[in-house]
Amino acid sequence: MLKVLIVDDSLVIRAKMKGFLTKLGHSVIGEAKDGKEAVTMNEKLQPDLITMDISMPVMNGVDALKQIVETCNINHTNIIMITANGQDGIVKDALKIGAKGYILKPISEEKLQDSIGKIFPQYYSEECDVLDENELDDMLS
Amino acid sequence: MNEEVKVVHAYTKDLLVPIIRRVKTYLEEEMKIDVFNCSEIVYPKNIHLKRNTIMIGTSGSIKLIITLGYDDLLLNKLVEIFTHGDNIEDIDTNEVKNSVACEISNTIIGNAINNPIDNSDIYITPPVLVSEAKTLYKDKDSKFVYVSLVTKYGEIQLTAVGPKEQFEDELEFKDI
Amino acid sequence: MLKVLVVDDSLIMRRNIKKYLTSLGHNIIGEAKNANEALAFCKENKPNLITMDISMPGMNGLEAINKIKSINKYFSIIMITSYGKNNVVKTALQEGAQGYILKPVTEEKLYESIGKIYPEYLLLEEDIEEVKDL
Repeated sequence: MLKVLIVDDSLVIRAKMKGFLTKLGHSVIGEAKDGKEAVTMNEKLQPDLITMDISMPVMNGVDALKQIVETCNINHTNIIMITANGQDGIVKDALKIGAKGYILKPISEEKLQDSIGKIFPQYYSEECDVLDENELDDMLS
Repeated sequence: MNEEVKVVHAYTKDLLVPIIRRVKTYLEEEMKIDVFNCSEIVYPKNIHLKRNTIMIGTSGSIKLIITLGYDDLLLNKLVEIFTHGDNIEDIDTNEVKNSVACEISNTIIGNAINNPIDNSDIYITPPVLVSEAKTLYKDKDSKFVYVSLVTKYGEIQLTAVGPKEQFEDELEFKDI
Repeated sequence: MLKVLVVDDSLIMRRNIKKYLTSLGHNIIGEAKNANEALAFCKENKPNLITMDISMPGMNGLEAINKIKSINKYFSIIMITSYGKNNVVKTALQEGAQGYILKPVTEEKLYESIGKIYPEYLLLEEDIEEVKDL
């Protein structure tokens, strides 16, 4: 299970995302409503994954991404950008800066699962025979 | 005179009580502010309105004026919650307070208003702010009803005055 | 993202509704504080969606519905009302509004009523299925 920080200014979207992530077996350890809160909470909570909305007041998602990537180890920073139609250029920039994926709104559980799976292959699909560490160890010994 | 008393008492039970209840549920459920006391419903000879009082009229087969008055501290708290704690620098503070008081009053009364006489619709007028404390004096053809609800931030004062014909066009109040 | 016109005589309601709609990813292209301003705006602009308060001074929201639809029948209208017990909502829908929200207005209520008119803005498959069943 991943420890996830949800970043979005919409109350409704945060609630829905939390629902999806919980269903997918992950744990939502924090919610931020703008980029500034996201940076602070990331430092404090050290999540495995951040879902980051792009358009937010106070500080937008791309600026928050920049700050986080500058101060943390990029290999340990896993950020999925949540984007609306027409933001292609922004998404490309975000990926260059260090975002590991993106989801186009409307968000669905499937889209979330796919993008999480691309970063963390062990979560890719229920259909796959995903072994946990102990089972893997048993198999290999 | 007796007939009017009867009508106002019916208003009190079937019209005012739902509004009182809605004040309570609005504060507690929407604003998370507990109401820890509700006064008796009284029929005073005059009413001194709070500085932050919103006035709403009804039309249709029921003709009343209903007011909701807010203590300063309570209104400040309501504004804070209503605006989600955001910093509103671009709008005048008083305008924001008035707007919030009007909107909350409109929501409470609109949600709760019902017609105990027949089933026809009652319409309410857009809310109006009474910006300075006013004293309403009762004349022999009108009846005042008053109740107040207490929270830790202060009081909400709810009054109803009827019949509406007692008041002149510009919502000024007739002295005795 | 929808292009939205917000119509309400209350300053604070316009502000809150704009905030919720923006959070949900929509684009506020205008705001009006009465029906006349709303009509003037609709003649010159093309909102996909109009949120409109029912009680406003001057022409009320109900009367305005018909007039707005006459300008362009594709403008969707969501009425906002505090009336819990009136037939006002029924009348609004008969006049041509696509939906309504009972005050207090929340982001959730906006999301749901927009979702009924534009299911592509819903976030959950099950929300979409629910709308199809209606």
